[in-house]
Amino acid sequence: MPEKIIYLDYAATTPVDARVAQKMAGCLTCEGLFANPASAHAPGRKARGAVEQARVQVAALVNADLGEIIFTSGATESDNLAIKGAAHFYRNKGRHVVTSRIEHKAVLDTCKQLERDGFEVTYIKPDADGLIGPQAVAQALRPDTVLVSIMHVNNEIGTANDIAAIGAIVHAHGAWFHVDAAQSAGKLPIDLKQLPVDLMSFSGHKLYGPKGIGALYVRSQSHVNLDPLIHGGGHEHGLRSGTLATHQIVGMGEAYRIAREEMSKDVTHCSALRQQLWQALHAEVPEALLNGHPTQRVCGILNVGFPGIEGESLLFACHDLAVSGGSACTSADKTPSFVLRALGRDDQLAGSSIRFSVGRFTTKEEVQTAAHIVSGEYHRLRELAPAAG
Amino acid sequence: MSDPFAGYNDTVRTHFRTPRNAGRFAAGHERILAGSAGQRRHGREVEFQLQVTADGRIGDCRYHVYGCPATIALCSLTSEALKGRTPAEAAGFSVVALADQLGLPAEKRDAAVTVEDAVRAAAGRYNAALAVSPAVPQLQA
Amino acid sequence: MSIFLDHNATTPLEPRVLDAMLPLLRGTHGNPASVHRFGREARVALDRARAQVAALVNAQPPQVMFTSGGTEADNLALRGAVHAAPRSRLLVSSIEHAAVQETADALAKDGWAVERIPVDSECRVDLPALEKLLDGGARLVSVMLANNETGAIQDVCAAAGLAHARGALLHTDAIQAAGKMPVDFTALGADLMTLSAHKLNGPRGVGALIRNRRVDLSPQITGGGQEQGLRGGTENLAGAVGFGVAAELARVELNARCRHLRALRDHLEAQLKQLSGVRIFAAHAERLPNTVQFAIDGYAGEWLVMELDRRGFAVSSGSACHSASGRPSHVLLAMGCNDTVARGAVRVSLGVENSVDDLDALLATLGAITARRRGAVAFA
Repeated sequence: MPEKIIYLDYAATTPVDARVAQKMAGCLTCEGLFANPASAHAPGRKARGAVEQARVQVAALVNADLGEIIFTSGATESDNLAIKGAAHFYRNKGRHVVTSRIEHKAVLDTCKQLERDGFEVTYIKPDADGLIGPQAVAQALRPDTVLVSIMHVNNEIGTANDIAAIGAIVHAHGAWFHVDAAQSAGKLPIDLKQLPVDLMSFSGHKLYGPKGIGALYVRSQSHVNLDPLIHGGGHEHGLRSGTLATHQIVGMGEAYRIAREEMSKDVTHCSALRQQLWQALHAEVPEALLNGHPTQRVCGILNVGFPGIEGESLLFACHDLAVSGGSACTSADKTPSFVLRALGRDDQLAGSSIRFSVGRFTTKEEVQTAAHIVSGEYHRLRELAPAAG
Repeated sequence: MSDPFAGYNDTVRTHFRTPRNAGRFAAGHERILAGSAGQRRHGREVEFQLQVTADGRIGDCRYHVYGCPATIALCSLTSEALKGRTPAEAAGFSVVALADQLGLPAEKRDAAVTVEDAVRAAAGRYNAALAVSPAVPQLQA
Repeated sequence: MSIFLDHNATTPLEPRVLDAMLPLLRGTHGNPASVHRFGREARVALDRARAQVAALVNAQPPQVMFTSGGTEADNLALRGAVHAAPRSRLLVSSIEHAAVQETADALAKDGWAVERIPVDSECRVDLPALEKLLDGGARLVSVMLANNETGAIQDVCAAAGLAHARGALLHTDAIQAAGKMPVDFTALGADLMTLSAHKLNGPRGVGALIRNRRVDLSPQITGGGQEQGLRGGTENLAGAVGFGVAAELARVELNARCRHLRALRDHLEAQLKQLSGVRIFAAHAERLPNTVQFAIDGYAGEWLVMELDRRGFAVSSGSACHSASGRPSHVLLAMGCNDTVARGAVRVSLGVENSVDDLDALLATLGAITARRRGAVAFA
């Protein structure tokens, strides 16, 4: 196994930016901000100050107000809190929820649980490009629909939904709108003063921050109420109890600050690398297929289907590249990606698709090497296989 | 959650990365037995060719394989193991036992069965006539 | 530089724990769910941490489920257990941490039957009362191993025996106990146990629920199938690794730490008793070696805490999680203290880095504050 593995799995998780790590380390030591932010004494107040500064930084990236950001243990918890919280609070108003078939498992598994709790859920099928159209959402709405949850950017194929248009339809209908923005924050502009969104989930570790921290945006203007998921202590306006992990929050804040200041640089960098990777792969493997919409998408994710070869072998052959066969959260499960199948790809092509995701620290050389390895292994496996027919 | 590739030991990995005897015999080769098994839409397809020498033993093998790493490695290992055996012995060769020896996970038993079926289909085409007649036409792959 | 005497609220991170965490914050580290090498390495690190946490409380590694902290683990224990058994009854002691109390309240609001188990004046759970409550049947009994305010240690083993005899499960919140006394999940007979890293010199934002695997739990955070499907979400890798190392250090150094803490605590209590009008809560109960909760006759706890804070001492009046509410401690009220006495409470909770000098400075300051204000009306 070569010493240096090329990491092209930024959509699963990102390395922590060195600047973030430094800020976090500063909070962890005795001289730092280690006290409990809920404590009344001076060290506690200092920790609280750091937490509030981080809240400002997170809010600033998405143009939200300070009081609209609730820290959680991650985007999965944010999704759970938004969906279960709203559905349960408004259960006497209606028991129908709308989502899509290609949401992250954090949303899908939560909706499955709602179904067990007596709710009805409509799962919208994406179009062939992997987009959820506003019209498809409009058709799924019912008089008893209380909540619509549609992701901003899909984690496997990188397509970006028009959440402004979807939100307008949802709001005209009088339902609440939740958006999982774990993959889009810092990569696409998000202006929550303009977007008709009531709840939005964010992650720390998808944007060069630490794992185990996330946030939920709760729009103050819409007065959406949530049943809390975790009780005890009344932290985060009573919506999310539990001692706040100062270093985690500060890390997320710093990561979001950097993302805001360097977004155009990051986007330019990732777009160029993604373009380079696709061109190199396409030149070597002309039959390769791009999964997902070619332009309405996020900059860092490239999902490619390789026809005529078996998926597990392709992934195993590219074992020295850190890439993903699907979403990391389900990748130990060898059933073909439910997202790609929802796009109408057959099992074979869904199985032999690779998600490459580039990021801030990816280099041109890495992309070139990766394209070389993948196309070489593709041709090797292709030659090994019997003639199709 | 476990590593899906954890069941592949170094032997499997080596034969997957550098399979022995892969490909097919060039046209014009004689005394070739061919057989196939599996279907691509079910995730596995194997074509095996056995070259039988004048003394009735397998001199060399070739194969094409579409499938998971275990299927590919088993084709390579089997192609080595068959050399020197009679076709009758090849027909009785247990790829499943080989898979067990390699410690492949139980769910890879289907891969072994597919390779075994392809070998058996090829070896089953051998008969006494082939042993004495060097001019048997190449069987359709 | 202030002197930190509020270790039951949180503890400073042990430098050796920080050393173990820093490489994980700095390098490229995968999502433990990914199949590539980065993901595999992350998973190996996670498994090691799980084994270290298990060893601290004599549990098996697969019994350890990582959560975002003690509060989430308490929530998962209570909600998870009762949601898996419809219309069941829940018994919680009246001195539990807010994470248990408020979860129980929320469950009561959702229609579950919730009863409080009383305690005696020394902050010990009333076992005969528990036995009587169990006659009505219950799905789960929740009794903390050591109380965060008074430090009183509960006879969880006996409570587990009573619960099991009536077919109920036992959950114990061992957040304050772990690292300050021997904790044996197996010997206690508990079915569920909550731990938190930041109370034993580990990082904040990570905790664990220890689960006897025959216990059915309904997950509270879904999506991704992590932690045996009981807790979705990408694992806080650096946090879990820090927790593991902190647990290992706490296990190896337990006796030395306890000796040190007990010596300090005994010194503090002996000197406190020299001040007039001092009352130590749960003085006759078996207590954690690091905790002293006391009141000084005529002084409001909040006022003393503020005065000490101005002079550079971080202590608390009770649970940090309630310091903003201004309500008197529910623990002291449950012990039968009246409102005035309960409002007098000051909690000093010691840590391994404290010294006799720290305490002597605290005592001198307390003496000065009370001498100056002696006779004045302290309840503003």
